[in-house]
Amino acid sequence: MRNPGGYAVVTDGDSVREADTFTCAHCNSIVIVKAGQKAEDVGGFCRMCMDLICPRCADGPCVPFEKKLEAQEAAYHARRSYGH
Amino acid sequence: MAEYAISNKMGGTQQALASSFKTLLYIFATSGSLKRGKLGEFNIGTNSAPADNFVEYDISRMTADGTATSITPNPVDSADGAAVTTAKANATAEPTVTSNSDLWYDALNQRASYRWVARPGKELIWPATANNGLVIRAKSASYSGTVAASASFSE
Repeated sequence: MRNPGGYAVVTDGDSVREADTFTCAHCNSIVIVKAGQKAEDVGGFCRMCMDLICPRCADGPCVPFEKKLEAQEAAYHARRSYGH
Repeated sequence: MAEYAISNKMGGTQQALASSFKTLLYIFATSGSLKRGKLGEFNIGTNSAPADNFVEYDISRMTADGTATSITPNPVDSADGAAVTTAKANATAEPTVTSNSDLWYDALNQRASYRWVARPGKELIWPATANNGLVIRAKSASYSGTVAASASFSE
């Protein structure tokens, strides 16, 4: 995978382990990417929203995380408007 | 967007770990000052005498406040104003965490520290709805010391 973008480093007592990471475009979770791994080995690449997704979202529909946030905020504001 | 830094050294008493999760840090939107936030980096590591134990760490979503010490996020750029996001540290009563909402989970040796940095634009986001946010937690069946955690977020 080229340019997953995120970065993680584990500093142990006598070693340092670095890894690339990406953030799932559907659920926002962090996924560790091993060197040389293909996108389909760590979830996949959604061709609807053209972004990387995690294994948990790999078999699901394309619902970008931004849409989920908007829905959650809209539901919250609707409940508030009803006095809840 | 302004960026802010927080840690669980900024308020309260760091809590000894146990076999159930203890929240080290949490940040959430509060009614009256609703705003989305983005967690772009975190660092964690134990801060007791080194030994070989495992510690499990987790970042999950929360929906209701617990009991913890309020901390004031420090603006990374001192020209920025105060954050409207609520930040708390060292929970003594756990906030309500959505089950299986982990955005990151790992088990590390007690001797290890962990740092994660998001790709720009791919941060962990919480919605602008009251009491919704993120928690950084830890637990261990064998390590009963404390854990240090820090993070930076933007809003």
